[in-house]
Amino acid sequence: MNIAWKEIKKNKVRFLILGSIVFLVSLLTFIISGLANGLSQDNAALIKDLPEGQFYMNKDADETYNLSRIEGDLQKEILIKQKDAAAFSIQMGFLNDKDEKQQSVAFVTSTDSKLFKNVKQGEIILDRSLKDKGINVGDTLTNNQFSGEFIVKGFVDQKKYSHAPVAYINMENYKEIYRVKEMQLVFIPGEDSSTEFTGLQSFSNKDFLNTIPSYNAEQMSLNMIVWFLVVISGMLFAIFFYMMNVQKIGLYGILKAIGIKTSTLFKMMWTQMLVITVIALIMSIALSQAFNMIAPEGMPFYLTFETTAQLSIVFLIIGFIGSTLSGIQIKKIEPLQAIQQGEA
Amino acid sequence: MTIFSLSEVRKTFTNGEVEEEILKGINLSLKEGEVTALVGASGSGKSTLLTIAAGLQPASNGQVIFEGHNMAAMSSEGVRKIRASKFGFVFQFAHLVPFLTVEEQLMLMLDVSESKLSKQEQKREVNRILTSVEMDHRKNAYPSSLSGGEKQRVAIARAIIHKPKILFADEPTASLDSKRSKDVMALIRDLTKTLNITTLMVTHDEEMLSYVDNVIKMSDGMVLQNGV
Repeated sequence: MNIAWKEIKKNKVRFLILGSIVFLVSLLTFIISGLANGLSQDNAALIKDLPEGQFYMNKDADETYNLSRIEGDLQKEILIKQKDAAAFSIQMGFLNDKDEKQQSVAFVTSTDSKLFKNVKQGEIILDRSLKDKGINVGDTLTNNQFSGEFIVKGFVDQKKYSHAPVAYINMENYKEIYRVKEMQLVFIPGEDSSTEFTGLQSFSNKDFLNTIPSYNAEQMSLNMIVWFLVVISGMLFAIFFYMMNVQKIGLYGILKAIGIKTSTLFKMMWTQMLVITVIALIMSIALSQAFNMIAPEGMPFYLTFETTAQLSIVFLIIGFIGSTLSGIQIKKIEPLQAIQQGEA
Repeated sequence: MTIFSLSEVRKTFTNGEVEEEILKGINLSLKEGEVTALVGASGSGKSTLLTIAAGLQPASNGQVIFEGHNMAAMSSEGVRKIRASKFGFVFQFAHLVPFLTVEEQLMLMLDVSESKLSKQEQKREVNRILTSVEMDHRKNAYPSSLSGGEKQRVAIARAIIHKPKILFADEPTASLDSKRSKDVMALIRDLTKTLNITTLMVTHDEEMLSYVDNVIKMSDGMVLQNGV
């Protein structure tokens, strides 16, 4: 007999209150996680969209890609040895549109590679968000440090860096704007960290993301909120089931006296936890996905199925731990105590 | 035929540095199908004796023999299995599960005792027992809507639904008025005789002794008198 479900049915209000709290906490967690992911995409989609591999920057750059310069001969040697490798640079800058309005962009240039958009001199490919600002294919854009003009050749989807749209330009144009001769970084896709080059320091994709100024601090703050919410939900389960169990000590004692197994009482509690959590999660997932679709244009909200599934599993695990911790008292209940206590 | 016996059962409680012997070497035996009452003044040890006999607490010394096995030497899981399948319990208060209907209380007990009956047979058995305690008309009621006497009838039905060998009753009429107490005692006696269940009951109500076959009088942790 499913006594867990029968108790939920008989005490709907009590379980509805817990379910509502779990629903609200999980919804808030999904929303904040969506915002964290959205900001992460907004900050570093250019890097996050690259395949797993190794980034190399100059050891003297103090883990700051902006200060890194890959010496020309070394770059040539790496690119010859590693056919899929690309040397590239990123710098924040401005473009002036046809109305002389300045648009903040992240200029990106690279050696010939499938990983980055390669453009001819005087051409530019932009992140699609700039199209919404009135820039169209064929428009002419200028830069204060560039002697020539850029003609917009096309747009790419979701390529952002440091919260700015990416602008792919030719390497020669880049060198002119920033008065540099070398690239900042080398990326070798699929490479493990064992390959070393003299004078260069290697980073995995994740490690490299953390070298981006603001990325780490931003993500840490948001992830801390997410994990606090997850822990709070676990505590909620622990407190709720603790209160429920305290009220039911007499009943549990009698059930134990008539021969019910302690494990059956635990299963009853786990079933209730599972029912409440699953219903609350289904509702909060549905609502957060709806929010994903209707989120305002400017709001960086990005909630993937993978993140949702991971967080849901964590919620179930933490709910299980919380209820189990509170259920330890069930194990300690002596039938005799309950009988002597009087009516439950 | 003796179905259950206690041999030299002792129970000692330690309160700080003081050791108090509540039961001082109890010997008794229960005959199949008989209703036995444990009587005595408060503190005589009758409730402690009942709970030890029922496997709800261990004895400090001695043997509790049921169907030839010494329960005092069994694991707690072994004792639980006996409680679930071979014993029935009626307490001073009904202690019904508040979120189960009358019918479900009995179905739960069949589950706990790992009944081999099919669901349909279980339902038929529940109806039969509820009819015998005159509660069949309230089978869909929750405990909160039952009177004290009705609750105790359901508790008795729950205690015997799985056909236990022994029914342990700890002052089953203490929370009831005189009329209801007599009804409940008559019911316990009738059911135990019909189903051939052995009953051990604690009571301090002398009026109830007319319903029992055997009386064991206790005083100061010892059996003073064993017999009607």
